[in-house]
Amino acid sequence: MILTSSTAPSLMSEPLEDYLETIYLLVQEHGFARVKDIAKARDVKAATVSIALRKLDEARLVNYVRREYIGLTTKGEEAARRILTRHRLLTRFFEEVLGMPAHAAGEQACAMEHVLTDEAMDRMVRFFEFLGTCPSVLKAFGQCPVGARPGDEHSCGAYSPECARCSLNPKESSMSIASMKPGQSAIVTQITATGALRQRLLDMGILPETAIDVERSGPGGHPLWIRCQGARLALRRAEASNILVRRPA
Amino acid sequence: MRLTSIAPTTTVSPATKPRRLRVALAGNPNCGKTSLFNALTGARQHVANYPGVTVEKRTGTFEIDGEPTDVVDLPGTYGLSAFSPEERVAEEELASGPDVVVVVADSMQLQRNLVLLAQVLIAGANPVLCLNMADEARAAGQKLDLPMMEKLLGIPVVETVASRGQGLPELLAAVRRAAAAPLARHRVVLGEQLDGALAAIAARLPPGPRSGLSREWNALRLLLDDAAVVARLRALPTGEEAITEARRQRMRLETEAGRPVSVFVAERTFGFVDGFLRETRTPPPRIDTRVLSDRLDDVIAHRYLGLPIFGAVLYAIFWLTFTVGEAPMGWIETGIGWLGALVTGFWPHGSDSLLRSLLVDGVIAGVGGVLIFLPNILLLFLGLALLEDSGYMARAAFLTDRVMHRFGLHGKSFLPMMTGFGCSVPGILATRTLENERDRLTTMLVLPLMSCGARLPIWMLLVPAFFPPAWRAPALWIIYAAGVALALLLALLLRRTLLRGEDAPFVMELPPYRMPTLRSVLLKMLDRARLYLSKAGTVILGISILLWAATSSPKPSSYRIDSRVAAGEAVAAADLAAARTAEELEFSVAGRAGRFLEPAFAPLGYDWKMVTAMIGAFAAKEVFVAQMGIVYSIADPEEGTEGLRARIARDYPPLVGVSLILFLLISAPCMATIAVTRRESGRWRWALLQLFGLTGIAWLVSFVVYQVGRLFT
Repeated sequence: MILTSSTAPSLMSEPLEDYLETIYLLVQEHGFARVKDIAKARDVKAATVSIALRKLDEARLVNYVRREYIGLTTKGEEAARRILTRHRLLTRFFEEVLGMPAHAAGEQACAMEHVLTDEAMDRMVRFFEFLGTCPSVLKAFGQCPVGARPGDEHSCGAYSPECARCSLNPKESSMSIASMKPGQSAIVTQITATGALRQRLLDMGILPETAIDVERSGPGGHPLWIRCQGARLALRRAEASNILVRRPA
Repeated sequence: MRLTSIAPTTTVSPATKPRRLRVALAGNPNCGKTSLFNALTGARQHVANYPGVTVEKRTGTFEIDGEPTDVVDLPGTYGLSAFSPEERVAEEELASGPDVVVVVADSMQLQRNLVLLAQVLIAGANPVLCLNMADEARAAGQKLDLPMMEKLLGIPVVETVASRGQGLPELLAAVRRAAAAPLARHRVVLGEQLDGALAAIAARLPPGPRSGLSREWNALRLLLDDAAVVARLRALPTGEEAITEARRQRMRLETEAGRPVSVFVAERTFGFVDGFLRETRTPPPRIDTRVLSDRLDDVIAHRYLGLPIFGAVLYAIFWLTFTVGEAPMGWIETGIGWLGALVTGFWPHGSDSLLRSLLVDGVIAGVGGVLIFLPNILLLFLGLALLEDSGYMARAAFLTDRVMHRFGLHGKSFLPMMTGFGCSVPGILATRTLENERDRLTTMLVLPLMSCGARLPIWMLLVPAFFPPAWRAPALWIIYAAGVALALLLALLLRRTLLRGEDAPFVMELPPYRMPTLRSVLLKMLDRARLYLSKAGTVILGISILLWAATSSPKPSSYRIDSRVAAGEAVAAADLAAARTAEELEFSVAGRAGRFLEPAFAPLGYDWKMVTAMIGAFAAKEVFVAQMGIVYSIADPEEGTEGLRARIARDYPPLVGVSLILFLLISAPCMATIAVTRRESGRWRWALLQLFGLTGIAWLVSFVVYQVGRLFT
């Protein structure tokens, strides 16, 4: 098994890299790692850990301090730190930039840390540096319906005039059906809802590129009564604002 | 459209000894599935709740060529995505492996209805497609190529008009055919990208969980990141591998398609249905023509006219329920009275038999208390069934949702709450029209605050006793308004605390208007009546016997009034009997409880007499008046209302009256309400919360009003 530090991703298999990461963290915390600690941390049997350790030993990444106390070789430490850096960077990316929940961000990072090439990592670091000098971009992304997180108010203050997908763009081309009036028609461009609401809208046939007619509204303007694929549907303002449409010019 | 033929992977094994066939009915809401279920089973059906949720489970039996067959009516769903309790229940039923799944589709709405069929096919069930409301579709000029449909799908396809029982023999034959020898079913092709992704995930799925569902379906759920499926796989040794693969495929698909995977999957599923319909449907009905239904809606769902029309419809239903229902209620009351007298007649006149008292005052009065609501419930549900079956209910929800939503309720909560003005019991039963569990529980819990008909006699007694004539009408109005305001505020509070959570999506389909059929309306009405009598009735009967025991025992061995008569005091015979009854009540468990609880109610301004009367009022609110009559030893409280009113007005200051009225308005709903809440919510927890929560709030409100009021008087 060869570890490369060039532009290619590591040739070591994913589980082995995960073990290395675990051992590194355990050593940082306790000064050593034991088979049973590793097994517990990774939620596997001790026998499985032993097999992995044998392979790591063959690659000269770990050494046995004493019978069951395991440490990392210099090479092993280097490899572990490399993965951990990727893990932290990716977690930050998913959490801070893309606005995913911390738990999901960590999971994504775990899946991707093994395949991230040095070049990709370098670009990502540069992207973070760029965000540091231009934080309004991140803010605009977080507030734009396209990049919004669940529960966010859609108050894009920093949209670019060229951004046609932003529903608050003054151009008539894109908006949510909540701002449509009875008698108007439009084509769905995007559904920004998540979870149960998104699924419900999809199940009802509200898909990108389908036509929606707003037929009437309830007393006081809401709920909205729309027709889509032959069905009549009633939607509240909150739901309607999740359906972005473009109106024929 | 492409379909790939695969070998049938049926769950029916010919080797097992003949057992009863199990059929499940699946379909969108408003597709006529329940009509079909009723047409199939007739009276041989059973309605219960799925454990832990307020989703109805309807099961029944019917015969195919003389062979009994079990059938379960799945809740109406648009998909099987497991986001709502209904969808979870439907998926679980499919996983339990019914022999045949009849997918009922509205022939006029095939595009959306067949999405569910596609999902059922992917899930690996053995479906029969039932194209319902075929008459409407034919009238609209839609022609369907049934043999072609069968050929393309590889499953039997039949047309029915369930509301009139048409096409049922053909459907039964198709079910039989599907159960005996499943045709070479075809796989739903969702396009290369998606099929490839599903195959890759399915290959890594460990065997075991949800074996009633196909691997492909589990792979699809995993691809869509279904939390329940992910959690179940995590628990398996090799599950993590499939999860990782699903994550990888999801990322790949989202990058390639440039949109969220859920949207992509929905598009491909609709694409499959579109392709299928292109080859089997000619000509598609023109959906843009404005049919009669739309012209009706121009008036009925009008921005300004809609609400007044709804008001008139409500009035008509209440008139039906409470005016037409009055006569049969009177008959039942007379019948119960006659029965009581008859049973009393078995014992010699003036006898003091405990058994007689148990039978007459406990059992017969208890059964009477249950039966007395039956005419109301039948009539109300006749009205509700008409509204539901005609399609008006959805319009009513559309019109009232804006106001109700402000208080965390749903448009469909409006009607049950209005019904509560008549009686909480049918009101709570009417919350069944609410699909979402949280909405339904909230409505159910606050509903008793609507001042019901049984409380009217109490107001009739107390309001004139404490208010001068000019103030009586406004006072009554304020009582009702206070109930409504508190109900709405409490609903808001519940949705912010115990029943917190995101609002269920209000994406409500508005079905076209349809003429309700007598059969379906009657079945719905009788269904509810049966449920009320069998389930709520038993609890109510039990509690009335307990309350009877509490108010009639133990008996005192001697009476104070007797010693006073012995001492030479002149007392009229009627007064003597009344005084004895009063002493008996005082001596009974209820009377002692009243005395015992007096300190708890003293800060509200009540004495033990009021508390004892309230204990009795738990049986039925109007009993309060009778109990007050007894503790004041007024021989006949009905005739003696004037006298009782005068006594009350003399004994208590108006402030106590206000406090008492508030307490009776808010506090513990009657036992029938508690029993029905228990029955409908499926848990004692909610019924007890309603009981103690409302009583607690009543105590607090009355306490504040009384104590603050005392500062000013």
